[in-house]
Amino acid sequence: MWGGAEELSVNLQKNLIIAGHDSEVLRIPFQWEPASRISSQMLMVRALELWNVDKVIALKFPAFYIRHPDKTLWLLHQYRQAYDLYDAGQTNLPPGQEGDDLRALITNADNEAFAESKRIFTNSEVTRRRLKKYNDFDATVLLPPINDPELFAGGQFGDYIFAGGRVNGMKRQHLLLEALAHTSSNVRLIIAGPPDSPADGNQLREAVERLGLGDRVKLDLRFLPRETYAEYLINAAAVAYLPFDEDSLGYVAMEAATAGKALITTSDSGGILGLVKHRETGWVAKPAAASLADVMNAVFVDQALTRSYGRSARDLWNSFEITWPKTVESLLQ
Amino acid sequence: MKIALVSTFVPFIYGGARNIVEWLQAMLEKEGHQVERIYLPQIDAPDLLFQQMTAFRWIDLSSADRVICFRPQAHLIQHPHKILWFIHHIRSFYDLWDNDLYRGCPDDEKHRGLRAALHDADTIALREAKHIFTNSRVVSDRLKHFNGVDSEVLYPPVFSSERFHTREYNDEIVCICRLEHHKRQHLLVDAMEFTKTPVRLRLCGSSSSSHYPDELERRIAELGVGDRVTLEYRWITEEEKADYFADCLATVYLPEDEDSYGYPSIEASHSAKAIITTTDSGGVLELVQDGINGFVTEPTAERLAEVMDKLYVDRELAKQMGRNALERLDEINISWSHVLRRLLA
Amino acid sequence: MKLLIFTPAVKTSAIGRMSCLVTHALVAQGHDVVIVRAEEKELLRRPSHNFGTRMIPWNDEKQVLDAAAQCDIAVYQVGDNFLYHEGCVSWLARLPGVVCLHDFFVGHMFYAWAQENMDAANSILKHWYGDNVVKSFFKYPDNAAFIEGTKDEAPLVEWITSQALGVITHSRWGTPRLIRSCAGPVHVVPLAYDAPGESTMTPDYEPNKFGRMKLLTIGHINRNKRVASVIRAIASSPLLKQNVVYRLVGSIDPDTALDLSALANGLRVNLVISGSVDDTELAIAVGETDVMSCLRWPSLEAASASAIEAMLYGKATVVTDTGFYGEIPDDCVEKISHEDEINELRTTLERLYSSPGARAAMGERARQWASSTYSADNYARQLVDTSIASQRLRPRVIAKAYFVRVMKQWGASDELLHAEETLGSLAVMS
Repeated sequence: MWGGAEELSVNLQKNLIIAGHDSEVLRIPFQWEPASRISSQMLMVRALELWNVDKVIALKFPAFYIRHPDKTLWLLHQYRQAYDLYDAGQTNLPPGQEGDDLRALITNADNEAFAESKRIFTNSEVTRRRLKKYNDFDATVLLPPINDPELFAGGQFGDYIFAGGRVNGMKRQHLLLEALAHTSSNVRLIIAGPPDSPADGNQLREAVERLGLGDRVKLDLRFLPRETYAEYLINAAAVAYLPFDEDSLGYVAMEAATAGKALITTSDSGGILGLVKHRETGWVAKPAAASLADVMNAVFVDQALTRSYGRSARDLWNSFEITWPKTVESLLQ
Repeated sequence: MKIALVSTFVPFIYGGARNIVEWLQAMLEKEGHQVERIYLPQIDAPDLLFQQMTAFRWIDLSSADRVICFRPQAHLIQHPHKILWFIHHIRSFYDLWDNDLYRGCPDDEKHRGLRAALHDADTIALREAKHIFTNSRVVSDRLKHFNGVDSEVLYPPVFSSERFHTREYNDEIVCICRLEHHKRQHLLVDAMEFTKTPVRLRLCGSSSSSHYPDELERRIAELGVGDRVTLEYRWITEEEKADYFADCLATVYLPEDEDSYGYPSIEASHSAKAIITTTDSGGVLELVQDGINGFVTEPTAERLAEVMDKLYVDRELAKQMGRNALERLDEINISWSHVLRRLLA
Repeated sequence: MKLLIFTPAVKTSAIGRMSCLVTHALVAQGHDVVIVRAEEKELLRRPSHNFGTRMIPWNDEKQVLDAAAQCDIAVYQVGDNFLYHEGCVSWLARLPGVVCLHDFFVGHMFYAWAQENMDAANSILKHWYGDNVVKSFFKYPDNAAFIEGTKDEAPLVEWITSQALGVITHSRWGTPRLIRSCAGPVHVVPLAYDAPGESTMTPDYEPNKFGRMKLLTIGHINRNKRVASVIRAIASSPLLKQNVVYRLVGSIDPDTALDLSALANGLRVNLVISGSVDDTELAIAVGETDVMSCLRWPSLEAASASAIEAMLYGKATVVTDTGFYGEIPDDCVEKISHEDEINELRTTLERLYSSPGARAAMGERARQWASSTYSADNYARQLVDTSIASQRLRPRVIAKAYFVRVMKQWGASDELLHAEETLGSLAVMS
């Protein structure tokens, strides 16, 4: 299993080494299905013995149960199925007493781990709020930086809007296609990124065909080499990223801001709203085709304005000072 | 295939036990397999052993088709297709129990009970494996003796052996490995007192502390052999190592009773150079055959001096032994293709 | 070996007496023994048997912990009496060791312990016996009903043995439950015993002196010693009624004494109630008697000290054919079935009265068998062997205890604690 946390840990390690430290990544296998397994997995981590280590930075449940006198948390995920997803009815915990017992166990164990940590950071405001709400612990938000900012310099103001990142239902790229059908004909769109499943890719292809957008849309649905992705992004007129209720800013948004591109998102996208200020650094549309269509038109109507939004986005992003050297410094406080 | 490589480790301590895992990962990925490497921290403290082992029993790697376990107590992992490339036991509870220096705990009822319990648990875990490989005959014998299980010797190859080559056979016998007391470089220094030819000695490598290297320096000065001995106390890069091996007359590797033959002897063999070792070096004797691809002498300065001189005087012998050393690698199947074939059978 | 033995030591405790014997044997075999007195606080002040070795009270935390750190194994002498064994229960949970289990029923001890530990007690009952037992356990109207209702369904031995690294017990009949609940070795070893004042056996003993047969029952006189049945059996035989004197030596409730006297008087049976006596008097009583009655129903103990004493004195002994007594060789004791108790008692006593020779022969066989079997020396050796074998289990027990501690710290419910996937068959530690 390789995902965002794994990616982050590898980059964190790399940057710690750049900063002159010795760093290793400890990946702990965790099996949460069936839910009856979870107790043993928690105990497993708790029993691990570390020595020869000065400092530990823990990112996820249940890894942060590991014992160490100098432990800092950079919380990417709690076990949401015991917390907000449980409330939303989307959990693998069994209903009734059994599930309640597990939730109590996880909450108590989490609280112990939080209490024994020297500092707690979270990767987003949403995660911070959840930690406060469910466990009543305070934390500082520390956004993960882009790993290769140098790739996102240069470029030009192209004739297309770029939508990058993974393709699936939650990322809602299909909404952009629905919207494109209502825009003026000069608006072009490139959607590029790996579909989570063949069905996700097909959904987009079908929409393009159904809506007759073949001449205005380029679909590049695969895992893109980093340079290719960067090329698409830095040569766009604006960048669209409109997931449903995501915790974090999203790398696409951060990369777009680094490149000085205006951002398009929707009001229910979650974390990205920290970077997209309506008519300042981009546009916040309603999550509906008509509203999005208006915004997509606006990108090309006043190009100077769009460019200035892009510059503001970059300024706002830079003001967050989310760089690896700064992040390493914060974590090692 | 989806393969999980599992081993225990101590963070920031690198070396043989990690190399074998990481090199295997590279070779498996080259063959197109999906490999995950899992390192689990572990301390051998007697009172904490069993709770760590219990923790390992809870680790679920069922998403892997196959699991290969290395350093103890990784073999406690449960998996329907568990393969062990068993490097060593927790020796203080096995063959080193009778040695007061190494046991690490008192020889009383409580700890004898712990030892019995550990043997039981290890034996059960070992029996769960589909196949057990070891890195030497020594370790295989121990597994049979203490745990009653059979195993196949699978010699660990060195990574990218094509780095090693042969250029010439100069006047120097080299020993490239860590400068530590149990590696016994001091015996070689002592030997230089008895050599009769201008044969030279080069000792190079890093150390866990400057104590032993300092001792070597003193000895060299005492014996007045500084004109024929080069001592390099530093980390030797892979390129430097390949160069020294490419040009040297022969090599020497004579640790005290080491389980496995050690990478230096393999590297020397890839460079077609003879290996000098001693009767009590342990696993090296599975590689070196006296008079064929090197010499196996008694661990005395005089005997060592004799063979060093012999090689200096007879270059043809040195070359022939070097060729034999190269062949020996094939003879006992020290190659990655063999390793992969056996592990994936 | 260095043994730390938790035991009652007070003179009135038969288990204390046995521990003392075993301690001397252990020391003679070259081992080191430290005794931890396990009685409740008041009894700690009473004089003890002469163990001849260092003794510390169970409630001196520091001393016990220090001694524990020095020893190779902790040993717990456990019987069904909270007043005598409180210290054992308290320390067994913290310091796993070998349990010498004297009774196959410890319900009374558990009941008393539960008073201060009700939540844990209910957990334990639920875990081993289920919800129904939890509901009924504390609600029996009297002791007899309590014993009857729980001796087979919920004897509570598992509560003790599941915490042990190994178990020694003294007869076979109750061992299935122990084997199921103790992860370590379970060994049956004949109880270490010697007759008190054996050397003062009356040299002028005469069988059927003055034509009278002396029948004796010793120990705490309660219902399960079947005194009333003996009285009725004597009463049902003109021969016995005329020629048997039945003596009771040992502590007795005033009410019980009254009831039995009334019964005997009404039936014209010659009953003598002596009450508690000291060791010497007891030895004399046993020495001069003709027959011992060691009937028991229900039989809850793993071995009977009084029956063993009787045999060591070479006395003809009548026992109920159950439990420990059933395992004694048939030619050493007279076995009575409980179902036809009074009838069989009558015929047996009549036979015993009529043949002093056969009586003496059986007594002699019993004496020889008992003195070689109930050897303290053998017990000590087996205790050491079991301790060594138990050490093998200690690492797992300690590891599991670690995880139980962590789970409890995380507020784990009982269900989670016992879940198969997690801690499996781990016992709930109090």
